[in-house]
Amino acid sequence: MSFDPVAFSLWPAVLVWLQVVGVSLALALVVGFGGAVASHGFRGFGVAFGEIVAGFRDLFSLSLGRIYALAKLTFLEAIRRKALLVFVVFAILFMFAGWFITDTGQKAALQVKVHVIFVTWTLSTLSLVVVMLLACWGIPEDIRVRSIHTVVTKPARRLEIVLGRILGFSGIATVVLAVMASVGYVWLNRQVPPESQSELTCRRPIYGAISFLDRTGDPAKFGINVGDTWMFRSYIEGSSKARAIWNFPGVSASSLDADENLQLESRFQAFRSHKGTMDRQLLYRFEFVNPEKELRVPYKLMEVAEFIGSTETVPRKIRPDGGVKEYDLINDLVDSKGNLQVEVSCVDPGQYLGMARPDLFIRTPDAPFLAGYFKSVVGIWLMLLLVVILGVSASTFVKGPVATLLTFCIVVIGQVFRELLDKVAKGTQEGGGLFESIYRLIAHMNPTTPVPDGLATQVMKTVDRGLENLLWVFRQILPDFSYFNMAPYIANGFDVPFDAAVLPSIVVVMAYFIPCVIIAYYSLRLRELEAK
Amino acid sequence: MSAETSEPVIQVNNLSKVYRDFWGRKKVRAVNSLTLDVKKGEVFGLLGPNGSGKTTTIKMLLGLLFPTEGEIKILGQNASDVRKNERIGYLPEESYLYRFLNADETLDFYGRLFNLPAKVRKQRTDELLSLVKVEHARRRQLKEYSKGMTRRIGLAQALINDPDLILLDEPTSGLDPLGNRDMKDLILKLKGMGKTILMCSHLLADVQDVCDRIAILYGGELKVLGRVDELLKQKGATQITAPTLTPEAIAEVEAVLKKHGVNQVQVDNPRSDLEDLFLRTVQESREHPGRRIAP
Repeated sequence: MSFDPVAFSLWPAVLVWLQVVGVSLALALVVGFGGAVASHGFRGFGVAFGEIVAGFRDLFSLSLGRIYALAKLTFLEAIRRKALLVFVVFAILFMFAGWFITDTGQKAALQVKVHVIFVTWTLSTLSLVVVMLLACWGIPEDIRVRSIHTVVTKPARRLEIVLGRILGFSGIATVVLAVMASVGYVWLNRQVPPESQSELTCRRPIYGAISFLDRTGDPAKFGINVGDTWMFRSYIEGSSKARAIWNFPGVSASSLDADENLQLESRFQAFRSHKGTMDRQLLYRFEFVNPEKELRVPYKLMEVAEFIGSTETVPRKIRPDGGVKEYDLINDLVDSKGNLQVEVSCVDPGQYLGMARPDLFIRTPDAPFLAGYFKSVVGIWLMLLLVVILGVSASTFVKGPVATLLTFCIVVIGQVFRELLDKVAKGTQEGGGLFESIYRLIAHMNPTTPVPDGLATQVMKTVDRGLENLLWVFRQILPDFSYFNMAPYIANGFDVPFDAAVLPSIVVVMAYFIPCVIIAYYSLRLRELEAK
Repeated sequence: MSAETSEPVIQVNNLSKVYRDFWGRKKVRAVNSLTLDVKKGEVFGLLGPNGSGKTTTIKMLLGLLFPTEGEIKILGQNASDVRKNERIGYLPEESYLYRFLNADETLDFYGRLFNLPAKVRKQRTDELLSLVKVEHARRRQLKEYSKGMTRRIGLAQALINDPDLILLDEPTSGLDPLGNRDMKDLILKLKGMGKTILMCSHLLADVQDVCDRIAILYGGELKVLGRVDELLKQKGATQITAPTLTPEAIAEVEAVLKKHGVNQVQVDNPRSDLEDLFLRTVQESREHPGRRIAP
């Protein structure tokens, strides 16, 4: 597993959201009042103010009945326009997928991974395409054929139209996804070979914070980099004072399994600087530490199980090295705040053991696979809700094809190019910004060669910095779709963590809902609903 | 209270609409300085050739288009105020309905937009489907309807809220003569119920049959405004209608007229219009199937 679930910090995110929305709102007001004054003269102040008041009036006179009516209309429209034909594509894919992806020669975990990734990818891709097209074409089509005229000439508020559309498309997304996910679950259980079924599980790990000691025993931010470009794992040197220290919070008797054992699962990697002993893997050792009681209890030597990982069943009563003294894991080694500290050391001299934060965790009793699968489907559902919100909002100010393209770009950038965008916006991308990159292309310079100093370079870099700032703003308003992809958790046999995946996904959807609805409302309100 | 003395339901003052292109350049002035009132309880006709600004005016009244200049008060509120729609019914030029719904679902949907309770929606749906004579097709999706049927269901949706003011854009367009007659009868029936009706059409006979007052637009400008009977009265001629006269009686009448200095006299049988002939033919065909109708 090469992902590191980090708990989402809600309040700092809310603070950033308030800042971004506040600034955007202030800018919108300036532009709105400016535009009104430009077209109406000083009377424009009153016109703009009137629109704001009307917005609040519409907000407080929302009718759930009308929203329901519009949502039902949207739902019926999608169904009667054959949106559910997506099930045919889905059925064809699932009928024949087994021929290509089932390979009983592979490791059980890998077989499960391939099947799970296929199902979740199919669910998210098919439903995304259907929902995006529906959401982006609903209102523009209504305007094109002018059926919206019979709605807005009734007491339906523009806000109710937007909310009704969002609710209706969300309903379609829910039905489509629920049906496909149910079929997908049955398919998974039938298609994964019986000998691999045990890997269809849902580990519920307790992750700890990791810190390091270097070879001299001094605290270090990381271990040693053994030459990886992407340093996910840090390495500790064998037979030295180097340690990786995990601090697991919230450990109690409930963390133990039914037999009163603590399951510690590890996925360490070895890096050998010499052949060493060829008939065994590298050795490592756990040491349980309670700083409050100044207790250090070494555990037995173990061999690294590279690439497959190993689960160590640590009994509640530990007797180190066959001694007389016995320690209770919970009562003696967990501190008063419920933290359990585990130090990992590599035993073989001159060899290195690589580890990252999620490489060691306490495995509490597993949940059924269905629990993780359900959360993963909830992740896809939340993504679809966001796509509906974005699509409906875009469709209030541009036509269907443009709205589709716009929403598609937001999804792709938010999902695939976000890291690149981050680097370019922060100016940390090798090769510089737009103009510097163009210059390098023309001059056949590689990205690491310094650009010669001079006035032109200064101008180029200054313009690039301006563009980077623009990109930074752009980045702030683009949703992060990575949270919604919860498939890696269940594909690797893990439960989907609420605080690291589900919570941020919910927060992202809510964060975009309010501003998008405001934009959509005023877009519909301030435009003439006439097909042109 | 007569229409002339009653309060205005629609007040349009110096209304203009200029359509512009993407760059803000003026394309066409669709309505120019239009001022008129529509009084409570009257049937008011907006007439004019294609492109004269009738539909643009109606759309500005409904808030679908924004005026470039001028003011609109409709039921005492601004055209952009959605609250006015509680008391308005609108039949668009084409029946822009949701073609994937059937008649029941269509009326139920529009009824929900007025927050009508389920029982009232059901009752109104039954009444209106009966009124516009599409009960037999209430379960069929509108995409299977003929143009005339779509028009009828369009009218039904306009009446779902029992509105005080009804705006009809080309109400008889697409209807056969029977439907046309039904529509005109219905307009008169609604007038009898105290509703105010604003209709626009370029079918002059229809307007003449039902409207109390008319305005004729040309090139976006108001050219004529007044009561239909006043406007159509020919002040230079007198018409006498009597049962069929013998040739001798006609000669005597002509002699009397000559004695009073009237030399240009036209004597003929009065003619009914084609609509009357058509309606009579259909009526007799229903009563006597298989019989040829004597002209």
